[in-house]
Amino acid sequence: MGIVGTVTRRTFLIGTAAIAGGVAFGTYLVKRPIENPLLADLKDGEAAITPYIKIDASGITLITPRADKGQGAYSIQARLIAEELDFDPATAVITPGMPGPAYYNSAVLEEGVPFPAYDDSAIAETARQFMSVPAKLMSMQMTGGSSTVPDGHHKMRMAGAVARETLKEAAAQQVGVDRSQLTTEDGHVVLPDGKRIAYTELATTAASIEPITDVQLRPSSEWKHLGKPTQRLDMPAKCTGTEKYGIDLVVDGMVHAAVRANPGVGAGVKSFDASSAEAMRGVQKVIAIKNGVAVIADNTWRAWRAADAIDITWEQGPYPENTDAIFAEIEKVIDQDEFRDHRNRNDGDVDTALTAGDVFEATYKVPYLAHAPMEPMNALVRVTDTECEIWTGTQIPLFVRDHAAAMTGLDKDQVLVYVQPMGGSFGHKLEDTHVLQAVEIAIAMKGTPVKMVWSREEDMTHDYPRPGSIAKGRGTVSNGQVETFDLSVGQSSLMADWFGRLTGLAIPGPDATITTGSWDQPFAIPNYRVTGYRAPTMVPVSSWRSVGASGNGFFHDCLLDELIHKAGADPLAERIRLCMHEDSRKVLEKVGEISGWDGPSMGENRGRGVAFCLSFGVPTAIVTEVTNTEAGITIDKVYTVVDVGEVLDPTNLEAQVFGGVVFGMAHAMNCETTYENYAAQQNNYHAYEGMRLYQTPEFETVALTNAKKIRGIGEPSVPPAAPSLANAIFAATGKRIREMPLNKHIDFV
Amino acid sequence: MQIDVNGKAFEVEVEPEMPLLWVLRDELGITGPKYGCGIAQCGACTVHVDGFVVRSCQLAVRDLGNRKVTTIEGLGSPEALHAVQAAWIEHQVAQCGYCQSGQIMQAASFLKTNPNPSDEQIDAVMSSNLCRCGTYPRIRSAVKAAAKKLQEG
Amino acid sequence: MINKLFEVSMTRSLPLVSLPFRALPIPLTSGRSSGSLGSLGFLILLVAVFSGTLTLSTSVTAAEDKVVINPPAEGSVSQQEGLQAWARIFEVASHPRCANCHTGESDRPMWSGPSYGKTRVHGMNVQAGTSRIGAETLLCGTCHTTKSEDWDNANATPHAAPRVAMNWALAPVEAHWFGQTSEQICAQLRNPETNGDRTMREIAEHLNHDLILHWAWAPGGGREPAPYSLQEHVNDILAWGVAGTPCPQD
Repeated sequence: MGIVGTVTRRTFLIGTAAIAGGVAFGTYLVKRPIENPLLADLKDGEAAITPYIKIDASGITLITPRADKGQGAYSIQARLIAEELDFDPATAVITPGMPGPAYYNSAVLEEGVPFPAYDDSAIAETARQFMSVPAKLMSMQMTGGSSTVPDGHHKMRMAGAVARETLKEAAAQQVGVDRSQLTTEDGHVVLPDGKRIAYTELATTAASIEPITDVQLRPSSEWKHLGKPTQRLDMPAKCTGTEKYGIDLVVDGMVHAAVRANPGVGAGVKSFDASSAEAMRGVQKVIAIKNGVAVIADNTWRAWRAADAIDITWEQGPYPENTDAIFAEIEKVIDQDEFRDHRNRNDGDVDTALTAGDVFEATYKVPYLAHAPMEPMNALVRVTDTECEIWTGTQIPLFVRDHAAAMTGLDKDQVLVYVQPMGGSFGHKLEDTHVLQAVEIAIAMKGTPVKMVWSREEDMTHDYPRPGSIAKGRGTVSNGQVETFDLSVGQSSLMADWFGRLTGLAIPGPDATITTGSWDQPFAIPNYRVTGYRAPTMVPVSSWRSVGASGNGFFHDCLLDELIHKAGADPLAERIRLCMHEDSRKVLEKVGEISGWDGPSMGENRGRGVAFCLSFGVPTAIVTEVTNTEAGITIDKVYTVVDVGEVLDPTNLEAQVFGGVVFGMAHAMNCETTYENYAAQQNNYHAYEGMRLYQTPEFETVALTNAKKIRGIGEPSVPPAAPSLANAIFAATGKRIREMPLNKHIDFV
Repeated sequence: MQIDVNGKAFEVEVEPEMPLLWVLRDELGITGPKYGCGIAQCGACTVHVDGFVVRSCQLAVRDLGNRKVTTIEGLGSPEALHAVQAAWIEHQVAQCGYCQSGQIMQAASFLKTNPNPSDEQIDAVMSSNLCRCGTYPRIRSAVKAAAKKLQEG
Repeated sequence: MINKLFEVSMTRSLPLVSLPFRALPIPLTSGRSSGSLGSLGFLILLVAVFSGTLTLSTSVTAAEDKVVINPPAEGSVSQQEGLQAWARIFEVASHPRCANCHTGESDRPMWSGPSYGKTRVHGMNVQAGTSRIGAETLLCGTCHTTKSEDWDNANATPHAAPRVAMNWALAPVEAHWFGQTSEQICAQLRNPETNGDRTMREIAEHLNHDLILHWAWAPGGGREPAPYSLQEHVNDILAWGVAGTPCPQD
């Protein structure tokens, strides 16, 4: 169309080229193979076949570079390798290994292209594939965006297959037969006479030969382990208290550190008086750090108590001081051309359609949301003149490395990041402010390992929350159908904030995440427009489970539900009718089938709501049933249908689906992060309750496999959860709630 | 003062008001009980004191007396699982796993005194153990399965 | 000492299943690890505990006398002065620090008062049960741990679970104060059939002895204390008694 702000096929290049440093990189840099990092430290008798597999006489080590925050990343990566390598991964040492460029994530940037996931045209596909380029050049080793499986499912199976064939070749050479005569089974190469040689016995030979790379992957019909219900490899440790998270680490000579940073995040310290703190038991030192004060003590609790005893005068916060003022800035930019960030959807002629007849209008609002995983932010750091070691649960190990190198003045390869399993993240561990605080303290305590743990209060008030957002919706209906859908979403840019912190660059270009989850939905509404308006940077914000779709899922499917209701149509039938993407339509049809959908009403004070969102390439439909009791709403049952293309681990898929729904609904019910005097007000779980076991509905989950591409499942069930709940509440009570948390307007039991 | 944890006696010299959680984690290196909130809102710190469930972040070590502490490490191990732990593994309950030490300690104690719990009882007992990953549906199944297993002996 | 207290509490006790006394191991004593107590055991527990006069562990020392119990002379308090004393007593009884656990037949403690925002039942689905101490499901003492002695500043952390040197519990069903009018509470408190068979002097002693009640005036953690002070409240109870326990509806 050519109107300013409308999507053009070339706009994405601006973004990515800029991210890559504005350099026109040559084909050479892109195609240059990356050294296998495992080859650098190999000992005698050790073989490293591909960057993912190490073997020596004592066993096999699998490198699983995508971090595990509870979504099962370590397990699935190990099983992808093991399926081809023909051995039991439960016998392996599984480790994320040392971070390095070889472990770049080729899939994580794919969502950022300005093509909806259902657009599989050649140009869209090229754009997506192109995103692996900046990922490689930026050494984007990152976990997130539900990308572990899309990124790894081919290359890690390839690694397993390459290793298998290489081990066969090693055996072939050792024994003097041709590789084609050998098979593999359960960690052994099997000779023609049935004799078995363990992989571990072949390590030395394998180390001396070139890997066999001309390999074929087995079709899924031949899988022995993938695709079947399975046990996560970390489950026994997590059920016996033997899994060590970053917060559990103990090293000799370690000290404990607590920090108090300005609750006006980003602002500094005017002055502080630590005289009482310094006199407290166990306190070794109190030092100034960036934007805060740190206490070094011999015990976590003593460090926190001492930190509480410091009298600190803060600089004024760098954003409007309270929630009302913050949202006023967001509201201001909506429908104002000068703040228009992008308009990635503009079908038909919305402006004209909105002049004809009865226009429906509504405003929707979602709050800032803290991540608040149960393991608070922590890092253990030791800095010497020649080395910096960092133990922390992080999704961005190379950014951590680079930032620490800059802070310490060491070279990047003198900074060693040991990634730990995480007690949850939901996106908070895509940030590293807390790690850098620990580095700063470790620099002041050179040679001594410093374990810094944020108290819950520090964690929840120093988060980089999911951005609050306001959306104005308009629409028309005609002849029982939705005719016009126009959504204007206002929000600060999380990509600018978050990527700005990671790269130190000013990230130019539009931020599609302002409307991800609403501009990219597979509906053929005749006049369909979604526009993003960028509010100024205020509270520094970041990525929260399902990112832009976390709020946009609510905006889109609440507005759609209201328009459908106005049209007098059935919420499910009209969505199906509007849906022009076959895989998505099948998901909607299936959820209707398993829920026995026959309309939103289920009798007096009972109702069901449907919502749909296509995010991270996964069409997801949810039907939620609620009852309106005298004491409030109960959430009775949730039916979820997803399509991930191929199901590698049905047990974990189901867990991620209902876990994501609980996460989405929990926050929808009663969570918000509000600001007063620049500070986040909700500083612990009493004020940010979420969902408890007694409030948890029954679940029924189905995964379809019509889609052509394999997808991840960590996030897609989150965006439709809240709107399906809000729509169900409407069906049961007649009350339409347009803002979250919903308990501003209705009670939950 | 001397405290008894998982059948071993330890000598600790700390402020009497130090919460048991931090005596266990930082003084004794017993890290199974976790810190999640410090205000009895999450239950990640749950231990047994003379067999009774206690949030160790809320129990000052001076109030322990000579009662015996059991942490998740004392309930069972990967080689010798408690029935509740076995049920947890069979039902693939954990996601990030951080809350699960507390969940399991809570369930294990409860099933001793309520061997055949109703859904309402499970809802009443397990709802003060927070899980941010949303593993609740499988916690319910695992508690029921563990109850059955324990009854069968 | 404990036997005597228990016998006393049995006669005072509110309508209950009458059970033979048995020395049971209960939370806070060192001794045997828990076996399966079963529902009988918990009912016994309930009798032993909620009378309020029995603290569970011999290691918990009886509170030092914290207040002076010195009733005014007979006939020295007029009806009007008595009603004024009652008005202050009602302010205390209806205050969140007291009323939140005086929930009548409901076994749900309440969360109300300035530090909570909206009034609601105690979160996390906790239920005190018939035992009033959560014995059937989750003991109150799981989070509201019992102090071995009355040490200071135990409740300094905002939003944590308050603890006292006594087992945390709901008040007996009859002492229903949450959401009740002055007339209703007055009728309950002056009637031996509904106040644990106590004289006003015995109520004063109850206020002196039962440490959980002292918490109302020193709750810590930013919570609003009950009005007046423990001593003033005791004085008002005694004065009200001498005045013949007048109620607004008389």
